[in-house]
Amino acid sequence: MKTFLNLVLLAALAVSASAAEVKLLNVSYDPTRELYTEYNAAFAKYWQAKSGDSVNVSQSHGGSGKQAQAVINGLDADVVTLALAYDIDAISQQSHLLPANWQTRLPNNSTPYTSTIVFLVRKGNPKGIKDWNDVVKKGVSVVVPNPKTSGGARWAYLAAYAYALEKNNHDDAAARSFITKLYKNVPVLDSGARGATVTFAKNGIGDVLLAWENEAHLALKEFGADKFDIVTPSLSILAEPPVAVVDKNAKRHGTLAVSQEYLKYLYSDEGQEIAAKNFYRPRNEAVAAKYAGNFTQLKLVTLDSEFVSWANAQKTHFADGGVFDQIYQSQ
Amino acid sequence: MKTTRLKQLIIAATVGTQFALPIFAAEGAATGTNGATTAESSPAPAATDNSAQQAEIAALKQQVEALVQKVNALEQKPASADQAATISDLDQKVRILQRQREIDQDAAVAKSATAPKVSLGQNGFSFSSADTNFVLQLHAVLQFDSRTYFHDDNAKGVDGFLLRRARPIISGTVARDFEYNLTPDFGGSQVQIFDAYTIYHGAPEFQVEAGKFKPPVGLEALQADVNTSFNERSLATDLVPNRDLGLALKGDLFNGAASYTVGIFNGASDYNSTVTNTFSQNSKAVDARLFFQPWKNSDLNALRGFGFGVGGSYENDQPATNATTGLTPGYTTDGQQRFFTYNKNVDASGVHWRLSPQAYYYYGPFGLLGEYVISDQHVSNYLPSGSKNVDVHNTAWEISGSWLLTGEDASYSGITPRKNFDPRLNQWGAWQLVARYANLNVDDDAFKGANVNTSLANPTTSADGAQAFAFGLNWYLNKNIRANVSFSHTTFSSYGGNNFTATSVPAQAENTLFTRIQLAF
Repeated sequence: MKTFLNLVLLAALAVSASAAEVKLLNVSYDPTRELYTEYNAAFAKYWQAKSGDSVNVSQSHGGSGKQAQAVINGLDADVVTLALAYDIDAISQQSHLLPANWQTRLPNNSTPYTSTIVFLVRKGNPKGIKDWNDVVKKGVSVVVPNPKTSGGARWAYLAAYAYALEKNNHDDAAARSFITKLYKNVPVLDSGARGATVTFAKNGIGDVLLAWENEAHLALKEFGADKFDIVTPSLSILAEPPVAVVDKNAKRHGTLAVSQEYLKYLYSDEGQEIAAKNFYRPRNEAVAAKYAGNFTQLKLVTLDSEFVSWANAQKTHFADGGVFDQIYQSQ
Repeated sequence: MKTTRLKQLIIAATVGTQFALPIFAAEGAATGTNGATTAESSPAPAATDNSAQQAEIAALKQQVEALVQKVNALEQKPASADQAATISDLDQKVRILQRQREIDQDAAVAKSATAPKVSLGQNGFSFSSADTNFVLQLHAVLQFDSRTYFHDDNAKGVDGFLLRRARPIISGTVARDFEYNLTPDFGGSQVQIFDAYTIYHGAPEFQVEAGKFKPPVGLEALQADVNTSFNERSLATDLVPNRDLGLALKGDLFNGAASYTVGIFNGASDYNSTVTNTFSQNSKAVDARLFFQPWKNSDLNALRGFGFGVGGSYENDQPATNATTGLTPGYTTDGQQRFFTYNKNVDASGVHWRLSPQAYYYYGPFGLLGEYVISDQHVSNYLPSGSKNVDVHNTAWEISGSWLLTGEDASYSGITPRKNFDPRLNQWGAWQLVARYANLNVDDDAFKGANVNTSLANPTTSADGAQAFAFGLNWYLNKNIRANVSFSHTTFSSYGGNNFTATSVPAQAENTLFTRIQLAF
């Protein structure tokens, strides 16, 4: 009997000590599919070695604004890796799933990598597009997603606006005129960055795609470098896509610790390398230097310097009745 | 267009040349003939002319060939820059339109996935959130009746039309698992809330119901108003509670093969409803019911519609005020005339329990429903001469049968016609014959006493028993409209052979003709 009890005890211990399978849901924006596919595999190895547990990270992608709304509406994300801080602020404010100070919990305002907006043009650049002022010329067809739903589109809009401000001595009326001309050249608005890439690259629409830098490189890789060229404008915006643990969801799932580590690991050398390989600009200087060839140097303005804050930019430009609503006419 | 015109001209020219050349040749020949004739006179110049013509023809041929080559070259030449630009613009516009259509379709799909849904049909109006977690349904029950009493000397039942039930029903769910129902009734002499409850559907086996609803005792009482065979429920239902306020735990086990309900309630008297939030006593009633349909999920068609069970209640009636007696206001006939009431100064004064074994059987167009009810209640009267305490043990039973002449399946939960009424298509809905016998027996102890003033009930105005036979015809025009006609004959017995006073209800048998037009959705 005693032996039997010992066996039962040992079996119970064995079961309790056996590796657990942890499941995470990363709700992200459109162009990060490839980045997180690679990163998730690397993190799973890292976490298995560290904790003995296997981790399976599911990904959900879409326009950043739409993804944030989905989380607010109940999409059970453990972590969010969205295109801009405003969307995570919205989750915090509207659903209280994470604290308002979420951005202070990780280095660099919780943005482990950065990016910017560049132009993807057809091979040989038949329209001679070199900078933002070429994009607004009559007869140039511009593809860019809808800033109401896409984080990348908001960055693109603000990059163009910042360029116009700089070229016009910060004359807001001139900048508004510039952005109006730009969106007059936009024949169709996709809801997300990936959709816009499909519109431009696969459907053959437009002369230039205003794209995330990484998305532009991915288009070259996917559709052929013989079909497109990347044009880097003289000025663009420093896009800072943030990441955050959705505390209440993660606590409820019992995944808080692994979720936190999942995001922290983005700052590791391996995480930064994966970001750089996928054409996201790494924060780590050594890794940035190693991959300097991937990224053209250009003048990057920050959102805070040009638009004060995301809240201000959102209210002025993208909220209902804002500048974008006033200037955009459906084609 | 220009090139086409040019080509036509060239071809015309070519054809003209081809036709012209033989003519030229013939002319040449004629000329030659003539010339020959002439040549005969001057042959050397004729040979010279012929050679010049041949050279001219060869030159013309060369010109034509050159022109044809030019035309071909023009045909094969790429469109001009303007034309290419136009084509490119058109191509872009087509692509943009196609892409815009795809985006619009995606947006429409996304919008439909989040847009509230509205539906309208035989089950009423329904509004729901896209995920159906929140649902609002609007239903209604309207019953327009007539009652005609025969051989009543125009003294008792009053013939006439009545709005038996007029109930807008608001029901649905909130947060997926919480059902609600709010049912006021405008059909009676006063507007009142008949049902107002919420049910938490944790699982089929575990549900919690709270509010005002039907307590789980009588089988016929629990059947929906729109599905009962006759206009009025039977005498057996006189002995069970109608509506009550309380909290119940209930569920279906084994995919509905067994179901249970147990709850705590304020405690309603026999076939009476708690109509307000005032209640008569501190003690509460416990009502419970078990019901089994063992073959519900089996392949035995003949037994699938068989169900049986038992319902019951237990309470300790101690009315706290003189205004409330804790007793039934009275037992009524099919014609809704009161044939038994307790005397004044009589109160419920102790344990009241009910027990109701019950069963139904439905097979094809045939239906049978029966139940037996015991209502045992401790009752007292308070007189200067001293109080009288009695356990009044009343019993009742009923059995009703139905047969659908048009072959539809009979059911406890309603009839669906095979073919809806539509005379243009020679369709006449579903027709059902129904018959019922019921009996109610009041305990003799209710009438015992030195005289009518000391007994609990007056044997000259209240019957100690009633027996009712009814039959009828129900016409289901469709799922929502029903018309029926029935006749009910009720006889009464008196305690100790007492003669009823002439104006009392049981003084003579009740014969009532009922009609009804019912709308329910």
